[in-house]
Amino acid sequence: MSLLELKNVSYTYGAGTPFEITAIKNINLTIEKGSFVGIIGHTGSGKSTLVQHFNALLKPTEGQVLLNGEDINRSKHSAHEARFKVGLCFQYPEYQLFETTVYKDIAFGPTNMGLSEEEIKARVLEAAEFVGLTDELLNKSPFELSGGEKRRAAIAGIIAMRPEVLVLDEPTAGLDPSGRKKILSMICEYREKTDSTVIIVSHSMEDVAAIADKIIVMNKGQVYKYADVHEIFAHSGELASLGLEVPPVTNIFLKLKEMGLNIRTDIYTKDQAEKELLRYLQKEGIAW
Amino acid sequence: MVRDITIGQYFPGNSVLHNADPRLKLVLSFVSIVFVFVCNNFYSLALVLAFTVVAVLSSRISLKVILKGLRPMLLLLIFTSALQLFYNKQGTELFVSRFITITTGGIFTTIFMVVRIICLVLLSSLLTYTTSPTQLTDGIERLLSPLKVFGLKNGVHTLAMMMTIALRFIPTLIDEIDKITNAQKARGANFETGGIVQRAKALLPIFIPLLVNSFRHAFELSLAMSARCYNGGEGRTRMKQLKLAARDYVLMAAEFIFVGGVIALNIIFESVI
Ligand SMILES: Nc1ncnc2c1ncn2[C@@H]1O[C@H](COP(=O)(O)OP(=O)(O)OP(=O)(O)O)[C@@H](O)[C@H]1O
Ligand SMILES: [Mg+2]
Repeated sequence: MSLLELKNVSYTYGAGTPFEITAIKNINLTIEKGSFVGIIGHTGSGKSTLVQHFNALLKPTEGQVLLNGEDINRSKHSAHEARFKVGLCFQYPEYQLFETTVYKDIAFGPTNMGLSEEEIKARVLEAAEFVGLTDELLNKSPFELSGGEKRRAAIAGIIAMRPEVLVLDEPTAGLDPSGRKKILSMICEYREKTDSTVIIVSHSMEDVAAIADKIIVMNKGQVYKYADVHEIFAHSGELASLGLEVPPVTNIFLKLKEMGLNIRTDIYTKDQAEKELLRYLQKEGIAW
Repeated sequence: MVRDITIGQYFPGNSVLHNADPRLKLVLSFVSIVFVFVCNNFYSLALVLAFTVVAVLSSRISLKVILKGLRPMLLLLIFTSALQLFYNKQGTELFVSRFITITTGGIFTTIFMVVRIICLVLLSSLLTYTTSPTQLTDGIERLLSPLKVFGLKNGVHTLAMMMTIALRFIPTLIDEIDKITNAQKARGANFETGGIVQRAKALLPIFIPLLVNSFRHAFELSLAMSARCYNGGEGRTRMKQLKLAARDYVLMAAEFIFVGGVIALNIIFESVI
């Protein structure tokens, strides 16, 4: 069943001024309940603009955004409600921490929802556990945490609202490989445990390909392709030509193909790579 | 909402005013504004108005933008005109009733004041509309450079650098306010309802991150500057040298005509205010 639906959505920044920029044009898409969608695209392709429509932070210049079949921009109240149903975690969310303790900061969202004290506490602790923040850290000031910890605290602040859809804008940007891995595995775990819908924006395809079911490829403010991961990678050459950084494994196979080898290029994980290489070597009769 | 502020903004373009030397623009705006207040009869006032209109037109900035910049003045204009109109007792009385008397003096002062304020705002905003912040501070630094003789060797440069940096960071901070506001809205923050105290409190989640980020920017910038061996103004040369060109002399001539015209009209005709 479709949870989130965009119909002909366009958005123009600074409409009516000399600085007009149409960031997204004519977007039509449906996000199914329970799916795990990755959004990838070049820098400036409109990914962040697109996701801010999911929770009514931006009101489309043209078109409609439907959540569970209802227009989220039909009233101020419905827009406000949408914020809790669609939890959006911004790019570099650590810069929005403000409370005196991490605990209070995570509680900001649930408090705005008007929940009871116990309910808030239960949610904060649950969210902190999801992202792996210890009780000791919860009582510290958010400004004393490391970069990766701040990032996780900020994500916990969204998870604590128990949204139906969790949208993360570049959750791994600016983190080192181990920090990235931690965040990504944490997101997977969260999804398994809660069965919620997750949308993750990234311009690193490697991160997204490994965990998402479906991928939206954005190019110049439009949806270039929206399909299952394996289908997207069936055209991995095209992705590279859009200037997207395909995963290193894919790149190796694209290069091999370029060298004239009769080899598949829809490869994006190590397992697939191993299998394909073995298949190729056997077929070519190279002893193994 | 913060994006609606146009005063002090720069609108890139390619007009006579855009291309003029920033030092000259600074001086000419200052002189013109002085003469907005020197004029004392309707003939010289008309000249001031005509001069302002020509200046606005030659900037080739859309009239929409110009009018938008004037809008915040509207309330002030209405309020002060009403005061002048009803409480100025000079000149002959035109209309007398128990509560208000309207005199010729009142009407004249009102007209003068409205025109002067509008011209003042237009002329001073034209300066920033057509001059990029870097050019502006560069101009100010050059104009103030004679002060270096009085032992203010590094002072002028430091001041100009501080102004450049401050101006440079206005858009960054506006962007940041936007982003933080959105991020807190995404967590259900509400800035639109509640009493004054509640609303002020609601701003805290924006204010604190903004402050923290500003310090971060400042530290990063100072690091980046020292990494590039910045050590103050001494011995610094410039990439862009300012030089008066032919078009600048044309502007200067126009200003002389304007100034001469106002003085002449002031002498020829009787002062009304
Ligand atoms: N607040 C804004 N005001 C004006 N223009 C904007 C604003 N935010 C984004 N834009 C413009 O809209 C376009 C799309 O920006 P957006 O941030 O959605 O891209 P993105 O795909 O998220 O890029 P990135 O990968 O760098 O985060 C860009 O051309 C950008 O310059
Ligand atoms: Mg973005």
